[in-house]
Amino acid sequence: MFKRTLAWIDQRFPLTHFVKDTAEYGTPRNLSYWWNFGSLAGVVLVLQLVTGIFLAMHYKADIATAFDSIQHIMRDVNYGWLLRYMHSTGASAFFAIIYIHMARTLFYGSYRAPRELLWWTGQGLLLLLMATAFMGYLLPWGQMSYWGAAVITNLFRATPFFGEQVVHWLRGDFQVGDATLTRFYALHFLFPFIIVGAVLVHLIALHTVKSSNPSGLELKQKDIIPFHPYFTIKDLVGVGAYLMVFSVFVFFVPNTLIEAANNIPANPMQTPAHIVPEWYFLPFYAILRSVPDLAGGVVAMGLSVLIFAALPYLDRSRISGGAVYRPVYRAMFFVFLVNMVVLGYVGAVPPTDRTIIIGQVATLVYFGTFLFLPFVSKKEEAFLIKRGLPPAVMDSLK
Amino acid sequence: MSGKDNVVNPERRNFLGTVTTVAGVGGAAVAAWPFVNSMNPSGDVLSNATTEVDLKNIPEGGMHTVAWQGKPVFILHRNAEEIKKMQELSTIEPVADEKRVQDPKWLVVVGICTHLGCVPNRAENGWKCACHGSQYDDSGRVTHGPAPHNLEVPPYKFVSADKIVIG
Amino acid sequence: MKKHFLLPLLLSMFSSFALANEAELVLDQTKIPTDKASVLRGAEQVATVCGACHGLKYIQYRNLLELGVPKETVDAWRGDKPLNTAMQPQMAPADAQAAFGVVPPDLSLMAIAREGREHYLYSYLMGYKANEKGEIENRIFTVTKMPDILGISGAADDKQREEIGAKAKDITAFLNWAADPHGEDRKNLGIYVMIYLFIMTILLILWKKQIWRKVDEMGPV
Repeated sequence: MFKRTLAWIDQRFPLTHFVKDTAEYGTPRNLSYWWNFGSLAGVVLVLQLVTGIFLAMHYKADIATAFDSIQHIMRDVNYGWLLRYMHSTGASAFFAIIYIHMARTLFYGSYRAPRELLWWTGQGLLLLLMATAFMGYLLPWGQMSYWGAAVITNLFRATPFFGEQVVHWLRGDFQVGDATLTRFYALHFLFPFIIVGAVLVHLIALHTVKSSNPSGLELKQKDIIPFHPYFTIKDLVGVGAYLMVFSVFVFFVPNTLIEAANNIPANPMQTPAHIVPEWYFLPFYAILRSVPDLAGGVVAMGLSVLIFAALPYLDRSRISGGAVYRPVYRAMFFVFLVNMVVLGYVGAVPPTDRTIIIGQVATLVYFGTFLFLPFVSKKEEAFLIKRGLPPAVMDSLK
Repeated sequence: MSGKDNVVNPERRNFLGTVTTVAGVGGAAVAAWPFVNSMNPSGDVLSNATTEVDLKNIPEGGMHTVAWQGKPVFILHRNAEEIKKMQELSTIEPVADEKRVQDPKWLVVVGICTHLGCVPNRAENGWKCACHGSQYDDSGRVTHGPAPHNLEVPPYKFVSADKIVIG
Repeated sequence: MKKHFLLPLLLSMFSSFALANEAELVLDQTKIPTDKASVLRGAEQVATVCGACHGLKYIQYRNLLELGVPKETVDAWRGDKPLNTAMQPQMAPADAQAAFGVVPPDLSLMAIAREGREHYLYSYLMGYKANEKGEIENRIFTVTKMPDILGISGAADDKQREEIGAKAKDITAFLNWAADPHGEDRKNLGIYVMIYLFIMTILLILWKKQIWRKVDEMGPV
């Protein structure tokens, strides 16, 4: 019976083929746990979608009732507090996972040919995620929600000639208002589904070029094992560990991720003393503030996110893999990471003369890393070849 | 089994696997409950589950409609003549009037037509539903179809001589 | 060259930390109690004292019953208002505006709505002090219009200070509950979730080891 049903479906839809293709997807057997974060991001995406849809059943996108409806969810809806804390914590978790996923890609050079499209679709996903998170943050209609949206929409004033019009068009109002809230809600609902679609594209690209691996070399056929059951179970171990960390936040310290000022309803007449974006935007926010010019700051901030896309061309070394055989690249990676933390710190504190200087230096280091990469990678390659590399790596150069 | 245990096709149906699968599926099922339960009536809705009605303001022969759990409830202050008339049992679903009231002076019924859920209008000697023409008498009993049943009597109790709590 | 540049940078980073700390208010980090008795005493204070001017629009009288305030007490506080009405201030907002020049803020979320959260609230309540001119000031929120209700500025000795401090802690404990009424349930549920996830993760690790046995035997690539 089952076989006949399956045969009936397979004639009309490649179900067996699809399942087999996914299950037998050849995966390098030496992937470390750093390769878990992709599937983890998928799990978080699903959790965000599910909690979001259940929250949407109770949330009201109207400036008169939005704040109250969140309190209604937190107090009166059965397990509403759980849904909301899962969703608010999940947003941070999503970025944490994506940033680790990206750091792994940078460290192991997983963005390099032939994985450029995989990397670029990932870039697109990051932008979509940022947009979704930003719009979702307005929905509670607290002080931070309001002023965050006010500041970010104001960035579009930097648009040449039509700055004012573009800002008003985005808001549907002169200030962030009812129209803004309602459209952000509509788009915050829509974007996750676009993300799901983009994830599918990302996965198709992955299945075409296959996973990179920590050795930095192409593996022999005997070292390629089927995805199922090996990586289904390994990914599940990661999910278990992740859910423990996630639950500590959700059940014990959920408010650490919610700014105190966001527990005050939005007040367009009064800006909080110190507005900070969510932690995941801090480095980019610091870059924005480091440029003493509106348009320049906006361009620098946009560039700081988009410049990652150029990496496959900026990294000109022919030595395969990322940091494994390349000490200079490795050093640059860690400098970049530390610099990111410095930028985050600068973005979090109120601007003073000192922090502005630090921010500007860190911004230069940030872009400098990208700008010097072509020269550094080429010089490093020459140096390493002269010094000698393991035979397998030398072979891959030919 | 052990013969098949190799890298390409490893052995995996065993005790440990079964325990883990059962524990995982069980946990997922339990985790689904908060989501399902979030769709049930919330605390503030449940707190509206009872309605207090002060009967002092309803004159004899007068009717008040109050909301109880979002539904209209008719409270009819009947006079002696109406009470007497209601002792007859000529309705489609014959139920004695005294079984439908706690105090014969006060009729409390849910004002939703048992046919398709419209709210009947007050008419002479009862109610008439504008949707499909059902008629009810002053005891809320259906006297003319298509409604199949009498108007529902909600649970209520007198907390004092002139105050009732519905629900 | 590089060294000369890095050192001042590092130094300036550390000193900016110090600077930021200096500018900040020093909050009293006294531990706020979480036991039921404190919360209930705080409920009494808030309903009878704070309630004169402040409302709690997200707390209805029925919530106080859920918290464990006795029915008679709740009935006394609510008068003839139904159980599902929010706790309104006894003084009309317009009268308060006329008397104080500002509408007293709602207290539902007060415990989590200021930087420093519960510690801010406690420090604020305890922060009144007479200045050189003999005027009562609040060191935490200098422009506050609220008088020193608990009387900390006039405390005669340590014993009285302690009594007032205990009241302030109770009030903060209650407002912590008001801001997050499911906090207790959440933590209790969280313990079970953590235990389950811990066992589940152990099981998954064991199963993973079993499935990967043959692969692990192959050694490094």
